Amino acid sequence: MSRPAHLPPLNKSGHVAHCNRCLAGLPASLVEMDSSRMAIAYYCLGTLDLTGLIDQKITVTDRDSWREWIWEQQAGGLYGTGFRPSPVTGTENRNQNIPAEYTDYSTPHLIMTYCALLSLAILRDDFARLDRPGLLKFIRSCQDIDGSFSTTPGASDGDLRLTYCAFAISSLLQDWSGINVDNAFAYVKNCRTYEGGYGQTPFGEAIGGPTYCALASLHLAPPGAPVPFSSTERKQTERWLLHTQDATGGFSGRTNKLADACYCFWCSAALDIIGGKSLINTAAMAAFLADCQYKFGGISKAPGEHPDPYHTYLSSAALAIAGLDTEDASWGLQPLDTLINSTVPTLQWAKGHLAAHV
Amino acid sequence: MAPVDIADSVPYSERPEWSDLTPVAQYENIQPLAPIFYNPDYKDATDYFRGVVKTGELSPRVLDLTETIIRLNPAHYSAWQYRYQTLIATKSSLADELILTNELTRIYLKTYQVWHHRRLLLTLLNDPLPELPFIEEILKVDVKNYHTWSYRQWLLAHYNREDMWVQELPLVERLLEEDVRNNSAWHHRFFVVFERGGADGEDTVRQELAFVKEKIALAPNNLSAWNYLRGILDHKHLPYSTQADFTKLYVVSSIALNEESVVDLENPRPSKGAQLPSAAAIEFLADVYEAEGESGLSKAVELWRSLADEHDTIRKKYWEYRIREATVAAPD
Repeated sequence: MSRPAHLPPLNKSGHVAHCNRCLAGLPASLVEMDSSRMAIAYYCLGTLDLTGLIDQKITVTDRDSWREWIWEQQAGGLYGTGFRPSPVTGTENRNQNIPAEYTDYSTPHLIMTYCALLSLAILRDDFARLDRPGLLKFIRSCQDIDGSFSTTPGASDGDLRLTYCAFAISSLLQDWSGINVDNAFAYVKNCRTYEGGYGQTPFGEAIGGPTYCALASLHLAPPGAPVPFSSTERKQTERWLLHTQDATGGFSGRTNKLADACYCFWCSAALDIIGGKSLINTAAMAAFLADCQYKFGGISKAPGEHPDPYHTYLSSAALAIAGLDTEDASWGLQPLDTLINSTVPTLQWAKGHLAAHV
Repeated sequence: MAPVDIADSVPYSERPEWSDLTPVAQYENIQPLAPIFYNPDYKDATDYFRGVVKTGELSPRVLDLTETIIRLNPAHYSAWQYRYQTLIATKSSLADELILTNELTRIYLKTYQVWHHRRLLLTLLNDPLPELPFIEEILKVDVKNYHTWSYRQWLLAHYNREDMWVQELPLVERLLEEDVRNNSAWHHRFFVVFERGGADGEDTVRQELAFVKEKIALAPNNLSAWNYLRGILDHKHLPYSTQADFTKLYVVSSIALNEESVVDLENPRPSKGAQLPSAAAIEFLADVYEAEGESGLSKAVELWRSLADEHDTIRKKYWEYRIREATVAAPD
């Protein structure tokens, strides 16, 4: 905890307004988001949740209809049940009480499934419509022979983001029957690099996002899982992560790259997981993120750039972990659970309702 | 297959050759989350794509349709998956598809799907050698692009061919010549030298130590090079103290260096005008002293202190923590 000097206010209502605008609609220029709309929803709802303003800023009608829309993306079939990014891939579902049936080209997507579950928890859904056995089967269908997980069953496009989603969902369900944990650990270890961080896939360069995914997965694992790393390795990872903070106060994803707001989350959250949070220069990080605020709301990857929900959410989440010691109440945020990446109240809700039906 | 010129293309709904297919509109409920205000051409093409998926048609015209969608939204993974199945089912020329993919790779460098498609094609074509010059071309667009490097590393590991491996160090050297701080190039070097297995004996270690020290001399504050040096030593279980003499040349201010001293090839001196002292060198030397135990402790503490107070103040808490840890661990 450090006291930042001359820190401007955190424009929470502006960031909430940015997210609400995105939830209401995105311009055609963002059509590439069509295949990851559920993630956009999660970043926007997550920001609302972190600010503690969600009840004030969305109506009961919004809440209900958004839940319905998410349930419409639940789809089941040969490989189990999960959530799709949006209705773009086809199968329509006009009865949210049962999952839609998918074809091989409209299967659920593992990352979108993680985003959908957390979004539903933020919206305080009771999860009565979740096909749990189907979800476990879906996770199992996504795991490949090398221990990695694919985005969709059989795609063989695995990387550490997917490993993390599989671990986070299993942890929420408190059911590990969908994962071969030993194989998954072996894959994570194959992604470790000489610098002390993890690459996105085996042989890849150390980078912040996958390093968070690796460490969070290793720590979410159930009792009886293998030892994640040696104490020497832990120190090496801590050193590498701390060195990603540069003179701007921001964090970069890789050695000798420029700082980017999203890595303030990935790297500081990774440090929090291995017990190194108190070593972060949080005052400098907050000053950097304050500069990344866009004047009309939202947070961008670097000062002077345009904001988006991804950077807005992850910056807010980084600040929630940091827990700044400042008298300026604008910087107050809901506490974050670093491993699952949701607020503590939302995680409690999710665990209470997801595990209760097992 | 001729590339589609989207600006001039007739909507699928107005094409006679598509009149037999029933388009399927996208279903959204009354109040969807984050709806995208689609352009008419995207809406038109995806309506027909959903129609195709429904009938299960795998035909040459599907290749045209999926290409249109991919050019409008290269992250549309279902269009890519369907396109791949169609290529196989219609026995289309995969060599032609690779030519098209070359163009798409260049435009959509940061899109996962284009690289995954490329990987699937290569697995079938089994002709990886021409990929290496292509990737080098693509690196000129963005020399640190993560997907580009991952793909090259996958190719090398997957095919494990001597005629491919031999091209790698010259590439890395060219790139480090351009930018000695390019961490992607350093990482690739480590992968090629130490992770392919087998060829990392004593000669290799000597060569790599000489290489990295020469680069440190050029830019003493380059963390990529220091991490590479640490990487070699960790990997081969060599003590950091083997590099103490070298490191000591970098922890002093440049004025203190005697210009006349004899050239020592094992320990190249900082280049003229280099910014000294180097924080990375101070950190390294402190690690050397810490490993000595009690006798080195006070020297290590002094170095950490200088990092905390002067040379690397952003990490003040870390260096103070290192002092605390080492002091607590040491016997009285």
